[in-house]
Amino acid sequence: MTTRTLDGATFAQMVLSGAHHLTNNAKMIDALNVFPVPDGDTGTNMNLSMTSGANEVRNVQNDHVGEVAKSFAKGLLMGARGNSGVILSQLFRGFSKAVEDKQTITTADLAEAFDAGVKTAYKAVMKPVEGTILTVAKDSAEAAQKAAEDHEDIIDFMEDVLKHANASLKRTPELLPVLKEVGVVDSGGQGLVTIYEGFLANLKGEELPESAESTPSMDEMVNAEHHKLAQDFMDTSEIEFGYCTEFMVKFEDEKLQENPFDEDTFRNELSEIGDSLLVVSDDELVKVHVHAEHPGDAMNLGQRFGSLINMKIENMREQHTSIVGEQKKSQPKSQEKADYAIVTVAMGSGIKEMFESLGATVVIEGGQTMNPSTQDLTEAIQEAHAKNVILLPNNKNIIMAAEQAADLAEDNVTVVPTKTVPQGMSALLAFNPEVSIDDNSESMQEAASAVKTGQLTYAVRDTQIDGMDIEEGNFMGIKDGKISITHKEKLEAAKALLSDMIDEEEDEILTILQGEEATTEEVEALEAFLEENFEDLEVEVHKGNQPIYSFIFSVE
Amino acid sequence: MSIDLNTNYGHVTITNDVIATVAGGAAVECYGIVGMASKNQLKDGIAEILRKENFSRGVIVRQEEESVHIDMYIIVSYGTKISEVAHNVQSQVKYTLNQTVGLSVDSVNIYIQGVRVAKDEE
Repeated sequence: MTTRTLDGATFAQMVLSGAHHLTNNAKMIDALNVFPVPDGDTGTNMNLSMTSGANEVRNVQNDHVGEVAKSFAKGLLMGARGNSGVILSQLFRGFSKAVEDKQTITTADLAEAFDAGVKTAYKAVMKPVEGTILTVAKDSAEAAQKAAEDHEDIIDFMEDVLKHANASLKRTPELLPVLKEVGVVDSGGQGLVTIYEGFLANLKGEELPESAESTPSMDEMVNAEHHKLAQDFMDTSEIEFGYCTEFMVKFEDEKLQENPFDEDTFRNELSEIGDSLLVVSDDELVKVHVHAEHPGDAMNLGQRFGSLINMKIENMREQHTSIVGEQKKSQPKSQEKADYAIVTVAMGSGIKEMFESLGATVVIEGGQTMNPSTQDLTEAIQEAHAKNVILLPNNKNIIMAAEQAADLAEDNVTVVPTKTVPQGMSALLAFNPEVSIDDNSESMQEAASAVKTGQLTYAVRDTQIDGMDIEEGNFMGIKDGKISITHKEKLEAAKALLSDMIDEEEDEILTILQGEEATTEEVEALEAFLEENFEDLEVEVHKGNQPIYSFIFSVE
Repeated sequence: MSIDLNTNYGHVTITNDVIATVAGGAAVECYGIVGMASKNQLKDGIAEILRKENFSRGVIVRQEEESVHIDMYIIVSYGTKISEVAHNVQSQVKYTLNQTVGLSVDSVNIYIQGVRVAKDEE
């Protein structure tokens, strides 16, 4: 018997059958989901979207294909969930537009409608990712064009389309690297194939098998589970269930009489003792994959229904340790002296960290009100444990103590007289371990002198400095050690200081070190000010957490 | 502004530009998005669709104390379920940032700046 045209009632039945088949397979599709976000909900989302589409179709009392397709598209749109659901709604939105005036449709109409669906779906994304449901839809629509030329019979036509959809699904790992890596096909593509299977089965008048023809293999689902898990664990100690346990149970009639098997009940029992659970069963077998702390318990549960076959247990903590290659705790210091070390002084935890990250060997916490003594510096030089030590005081009040410490030291110590934190940083960046200490001293001093430093602080009493009257509580801007700005408002003082420092012709980079008394809002206000007035200047902000100075600016 | 991470080996600083680019890149691969919009759209008066190199233009990274918030300005395709597209973008951006820069963002806020109608539907 051949069917050459499709009417609305038949199309409605096809949709319902596709939705029903998807419902039966949603869990499997969930298990495959590794892209774009491996959260295992593709099947659930597609199923919710499709169910909403099917419910609209149920309410149509009409034999007009265009009307049925329109309701289907509307239901899909309203119920769209997740990326795959939104894509599905677009595929059938295009599809329904192509058939909207048609009472009945032929294979040629169907091919055109599939094609229109793909065109619509591709239009709604800036960067289509291939190897997904989009690809499967596109390839099967292309196959539909040819199938329509070959077949007038709708069933033959749909068989061709399904065959090519399946082939396209198998190719998805070649297009999307993450699928290949994990060893699965795309979950959204699997969902679409499942829907097409439902369409065809209904046309053929076949009872649908519970599971899809193209069922993902247990191995694929296990791969996807492990992938999801690998995303979650950074640390071996976080693994709660330590053994990846896989086995099959071959049902035995005697045992089944005593313990009737029910997949959901069994799954719930297993979920009590582990996670990453997959249970798939047919009449003869049940396959189980579970991560459990006590693999034996899982097997005991299975053994009630039959005999165990194909068992595999792996200790995931061992594997994870070897994957992560966990670090041994730090090595004891070698007794050998290093060639070079750099000792520097910082105020504020953020600045200390910055110096350490720039390669300073020892950073002494000091600063404006707690200057390190000669003794502190001497100890730091010893701690640095190197033949040549370069000392960066970063404050003019520490330079003296640094010179003294250098004289006392047994090692070859040179002081590069940096007066500010930005100078110290520039000097440190100019350090080259390959050249002599004298050359380094020279190039580091040169780098330090190229930096302009601005510091913003407040006056603790009324005073007159550098020819300016300053009231207690007012803010002062200090440019390269000289007070150049004073203002009641912190932000205004900061802006005036910046304007005073920056030479638009020369300067390229401004670094802001945010002090502990400066808020994020203040930083943002400054950034906006800079954007407006010095748009070519590159601005970097770091949390220095320095006391006293709300901001330290450095301009190069 | 930038995000600082400490690892066993030292210090990693990721600038906001990088975060914005990664977030923008994740968003444009999201289904239903046809463009990123300039956050200054209100000033510009037109939702100009940003080219690739300007992904980060429609993305703002805000830091408040210890938390990171992302605001994204997007243009979606007409005929999609906008609420769902926005939700997908949120989850994809959050996941991608977590995977690629190890950053856990506290919120991803979506501003739909426009809906684009495909040519044949006008």
